[in-house]
Amino acid sequence: MSTIALLGQPNSGKSTVFNQLTGARQHVGNWPGKTVEKKDGSFSYNGKKYELIDLPGSYALSGNSDEEIITEDFIKSGKADLVCILVDASQLERSMYMVSEFALLDKPAVLLLNMMDVAKKQNKEIDDKLLSERLGIPVLPFTAADGKEYGKLKDMLEQELSAPHKLVSKPWVVDSGKEKSIDLVKAESEAKFQWVAEMLDGVTKTKTEKYELSKFDRVAIRPVLGKLVSIGIILLAFLVAMIVCIPFMSLGSMIPKYSSGPISDALTSINVHPWLVSIFSLMIPNVIYFSLSMAAFVLGVNLVFGFLEEVGFLARAAYQFDGVLSKIGLQGKAVAPLLMGFGCTIGGSCGTRVMDNWGQKMLAMAAVWAIPCASIWSIIPVVSGMFFPAWGTLLICLCILLYVVFMMFIVSKVFGKKLAPIETRTGMIMELPPYHKAHWKHIWKEAFFKALDIFLRALRTVTIISLLFWALSYSGSGAIEDSILYKIGTAIEPVTKFFGMGWRTFMAFLSGAFAKEAVLGVLNAVFVGDNSLLNATFNAKTAGADAGSLSTIMSNSVSQAEALAFMFAVTFNIPCVMALSTTYRESHSLKWTARVAIFYFGSALLLSCVVYHVASLFL
Amino acid sequence: MKLNELKEGTMASVLSLDADMHLLSRVTSIGVTEGTRIQVVKNDKKMPILIYVRETLLALNRKDCEKIEVEVIG
Repeated sequence: MSTIALLGQPNSGKSTVFNQLTGARQHVGNWPGKTVEKKDGSFSYNGKKYELIDLPGSYALSGNSDEEIITEDFIKSGKADLVCILVDASQLERSMYMVSEFALLDKPAVLLLNMMDVAKKQNKEIDDKLLSERLGIPVLPFTAADGKEYGKLKDMLEQELSAPHKLVSKPWVVDSGKEKSIDLVKAESEAKFQWVAEMLDGVTKTKTEKYELSKFDRVAIRPVLGKLVSIGIILLAFLVAMIVCIPFMSLGSMIPKYSSGPISDALTSINVHPWLVSIFSLMIPNVIYFSLSMAAFVLGVNLVFGFLEEVGFLARAAYQFDGVLSKIGLQGKAVAPLLMGFGCTIGGSCGTRVMDNWGQKMLAMAAVWAIPCASIWSIIPVVSGMFFPAWGTLLICLCILLYVVFMMFIVSKVFGKKLAPIETRTGMIMELPPYHKAHWKHIWKEAFFKALDIFLRALRTVTIISLLFWALSYSGSGAIEDSILYKIGTAIEPVTKFFGMGWRTFMAFLSGAFAKEAVLGVLNAVFVGDNSLLNATFNAKTAGADAGSLSTIMSNSVSQAEALAFMFAVTFNIPCVMALSTTYRESHSLKWTARVAIFYFGSALLLSCVVYHVASLFL
Repeated sequence: MKLNELKEGTMASVLSLDADMHLLSRVTSIGVTEGTRIQVVKNDKKMPILIYVRETLLALNRKDCEKIEVEVIG
């Protein structure tokens, strides 16, 4: 099997080419020992199978980051039979810099002039035949988002693999293994651009000399107005994502609602053990519902983010928020997933796909977890209302928001050093790509594959965690006192008391790590006791907590300090099993997902402890 | 003159880069080298500076711009 590697700078359209060629046949992991994402996949053409490696995106090959080192080493190793280099045809001179560095490695290659649609729109003409002649390798004008162009690409790859070409020209550099001085590096990079100029002489005819900001950009880059516009657009995008996923979610919610009863009746009538009845009637329908909800979110978020990224808007938002976010080690781009986190942590987590590298992606996900999602904002006022007047609730919400900021700093202190090493945090140097037209067919295709992938994988993860929770909350008699969770809960109550929560609130806190919607149902089950714990957890939305009696009983048996501690603990706990599962799927790292989860669980307990003991002094 | 002191719309040429290896490689690989012609597109206080160089619109950190010595041209 032949191996082809894709090489290109960020924004060159590399991942589009990779996804279009491999479709669903891809595997994402990490490069050995590095926090850099490794994507490989395969495709077949004319009966032959090809392996495709997506090399990490970087601007150069000068060994200045993990990405650059991995890319350079991989090409030098000769594991790729052919390197397919992508350049941006609309910014040819600058993106050819990568080609000049590649030329020094002396390996077989082809060149794709991507974004020809943008170049044409800017009236840029490129003589690809002349360029091909000078470089000595095939040059193909291309538009990666256009599915119709891939036949030509595959033909070229097939042909080149049987008779490969290497670049015939290369820039001047000093050939020495020694550390190079700053002056030498400067001279060499000038020589590289000089080489690019020679290669392009007569190849490109029109060149824009003066740049005019578009009308939209005049607004989008204003310091204050631009930020407001960015936030507005991202929130609007979130709304659109919700509209896309709501039909799927409501369809999914009908599964447990309408199937639980009949399944339970049918199985009971044929004398199936109650254990199995509850698994099949309660757990499985909910696992399918959860997985479907996740997939729907992923579909919606990928559609809007795919669009915002492709048209070039996300880069503007990144420019606006880079200054603020760099304080916690994140790139400006993280603003979009972070804002989405206020709606839903799953949405925010899968929105981190726009980040440039794996470390940034993981760090952004860890930060998104700290943002209270819409479900939390619906629980807090209910719980708070039982104990505090309206102004108190408002104050609590404000404190939660302040703590979010604090938590971000903690997350950055705890995980930032490893995920975004200080030495890689340069001040912002980024390109604002020209506005593109969105290719909807391609955006839909990518979003659909991603959603399908998440659905299939989520079924497994959610099943495992649900089984665990089911086992803990199962009770033969239906009474809470017979569940393992109750036994553990009451046994460790002396410990949980130290953290500020009695066994009842502690159980609701635990269930919040499973699904935020379960919190009210579980509170109802443990305080009012008119519903089994299992029903409360898995049928959270249909159980319907009786707010009146819950309020009376809770305010009698729980102190204000405990209520306060509980609210903070629930808000900053592990968001939910679906967010956990999405984070694992997006990061491909069980180790890091577990680290972040343990950190959140631990810090929520610690927070609860501090809040309880401080509040006890005053309340 | 330093790059961060230039007004909007000014055309300039890069005279020298007073950068360490890391910054040097970053700005070079994205197209800013000694002798390059640049256009200052936007220069607002406290915001990164937008420049147009080699057909690319770039956002550059203000601090880094202080290390780029430029000369205004025609």
